[in-house]
Amino acid sequence: MNYQLESAELMLREAAADFLEKKVNGDRIRSLEKSTSGFSRELWEEMAAMGWMGLNVPEAYEGHQAGFMYLVVILEQIGRCGLASPFFHTVALGNELLNAIGSDAQKTAILPRVVRGEAILSVAYAGADEPRSPADLPLEATADGHRYRLKGTCLMVPFAHIADHLICAARIEGQGCGLFLLDPDTPGLAIKALQTSADDRQYELVFDDVVVGEDALLGTAGDSWPVFQRLLLQAAVAKCAELVGGARRALEITVAYSKERVQFGQPIGAFQAVQHHCANMLTYLDTSALITRHVCRKVHAGTANVADMAKCKAWVSDACRKLLLLAHQIYGGMGFMEESDLQIYFRRVKAAEQFCGNASFHREIVARELDL
Amino acid sequence: MFLDDREQVVLEEVRRFLRDEVTPDLVAESLHDELLYGGQLGRKFIRKFAQRGWLVPTWPREYGGLESSQMLAASIKHEMSYARVPMTFPGAFQGGPIIMKYGSEEMKAEFLPRLARGEIEFALGYSEPSAGSDLMNLRMLAEDKGDHFLINGQKTFTTQAHIGDYHWLAARTNPEGRKSERLSLFVVDFKTPGITVRPMITMAGTQTNDVFYDNVKVDRRYLVGEKNNGAQYLMSALEHERTFPYGHYLRFFEELVDYTRSARRNSKPLAGDPLIRQRLAEHATELEVIKHLYYNIAALQDEGRSSVYEASMEKVFLSEFEQRLAATAMEILGHLGQLKGSNTAAPLNGLAEYYYRWTVIETIYGGTSEVQRNIIASRGLQMPRA
Repeated sequence: MNYQLESAELMLREAAADFLEKKVNGDRIRSLEKSTSGFSRELWEEMAAMGWMGLNVPEAYEGHQAGFMYLVVILEQIGRCGLASPFFHTVALGNELLNAIGSDAQKTAILPRVVRGEAILSVAYAGADEPRSPADLPLEATADGHRYRLKGTCLMVPFAHIADHLICAARIEGQGCGLFLLDPDTPGLAIKALQTSADDRQYELVFDDVVVGEDALLGTAGDSWPVFQRLLLQAAVAKCAELVGGARRALEITVAYSKERVQFGQPIGAFQAVQHHCANMLTYLDTSALITRHVCRKVHAGTANVADMAKCKAWVSDACRKLLLLAHQIYGGMGFMEESDLQIYFRRVKAAEQFCGNASFHREIVARELDL
Repeated sequence: MFLDDREQVVLEEVRRFLRDEVTPDLVAESLHDELLYGGQLGRKFIRKFAQRGWLVPTWPREYGGLESSQMLAASIKHEMSYARVPMTFPGAFQGGPIIMKYGSEEMKAEFLPRLARGEIEFALGYSEPSAGSDLMNLRMLAEDKGDHFLINGQKTFTTQAHIGDYHWLAARTNPEGRKSERLSLFVVDFKTPGITVRPMITMAGTQTNDVFYDNVKVDRRYLVGEKNNGAQYLMSALEHERTFPYGHYLRFFEELVDYTRSARRNSKPLAGDPLIRQRLAEHATELEVIKHLYYNIAALQDEGRSSVYEASMEKVFLSEFEQRLAATAMEILGHLGQLKGSNTAAPLNGLAEYYYRWTVIETIYGGTSEVQRNIIASRGLQMPRA
């Protein structure tokens, strides 16, 4: 078991931490949340210039092909600064899906532009629930000659309003799941903003008989579900890195506050009730960090199994939520005000907990893997 | 695991040995003796086991070890616990390392090889009626009489006193000194005149003891290291192996899952109950987390880093998990859960009800969960003292 980062990973982490510390703070996040688009093109281009968009893109498509560990190193730092951006869906999900099943033409058309910061991706697949099988997909595709007709409504599609390409999972009668590559301005597709607790720009996509050519299908026709499901699970693990980053920062600012805030003649951090909350927070953090690091290494090496990944998201989702609740208890009234950074992490962590399936969703997967 | 090929071979040998040598009688005796090895079968088993250096694999070869990584030591402990002999060795794991670091050459030669071979065992003599978690305030007095110390007072919760050979004893040698300069450590033969051991029986049916010292004369050569440095030695012992293996609970969990797969309640399969599925999946996840807490400590030690708060964290997490697991088992088994293993109708050999009683003790001994959380806060987060 090795839980430490290797030297190249450490260098990337330091570079990312330095950059984000300079560029993103609580005030910038608060103003982004209040802005119309919730997105900074300038910041996006700077992130692309750092090479982050191509971490998991093959060199043939202008990427660095560094692998999963490098991606999660960046995600942890993004979680740490609390930034909501299209980075996750573009890189951790979009790039992976294109790599896994896109045709050479599709990859050539999109991946180099993603790497250069010129294209943003989003992925639509969920309805009211996180799907467990193609039958749960809310979008239905019907073959019509050399075309497909798409009908249905997808929810929780992040940054769809600024995406250049949408990857949409649909059930195809008799085939299972197909992934379609769409322009957001395709006729019949309506993109409606959802108001969410994290103000993190999620959208509803309404497909009212959207007609696309068969060349919109990622890869060739056939069931893409096994690959898609595996990449969703991998994305759930990647999300854990973001959760760990946010939870670590929340713990740091809370413990620092407990050492400064004086009541009854001493710092509140000297009180045992506060110390035990903090000890529990550190336990939630360390356990989350250890399991995430371990499973990410396995994903990187291609040896992670379904149970490994599901246990990781199940644990980290619950642990980080509980950590934030304890942090608020310690921070008192100062924590829940808009100008507090803690409340940003509270809302981000909740959104990440729900992304790609919450703890009970993943525990059901674990139960199945136990042959229950 | 992160073992090199040579250590991987050792671990394979350990597994084979355990498959051959762990008998139901040994498991029963070990459970009854609170997982210690003082019983007849346990001593025989451990001597054979220790012949190969497996009891103290990290120790230097001159004292009977293999100079192995901590990861191998942790892996061996895990295998033992999974084989249902999760024995703890106060002598080899706690007293021995302090002797090796601070003891005289004479003391090392007298004790270390015998500890390594599993021939002798220590009983930890820290707790007193008025000093549990507040160890520095213990009262047992050891008066310096030149060639010997004269010891008077009482120890309590000395768990191994009835089966151990020596008392690993903390006593005051400098009653008026600062807390950190008050104590000394001794190794005292239980056969020394003036020592009385009185049994105390726990609600799990296991035995611990009061130990009374009445003018006990202890030769000066059994003082560990320097006089009045005991507190410092005990603090440094926090850096030694303090990990609690979890393999026996993993094994019990696997059997509980097996049971649930085929059991029915009110003519419906138990495994179909979403609450039970969620609970068992949660425990599977917790066991995965415990695995990482456990091996991370060995990884830190092998890197030469401190693992003090991490060891406390593993102890709290594991022991509190054990209580949740035992409660889940009792819930799944319904009223059959209360049957002890002596009943033929007892599911899972009665382990559920045994663990339900025993795991209450686990969150207390070795430092309560609250004391461990104090350590996590002060050593892990540098939080101020009250």
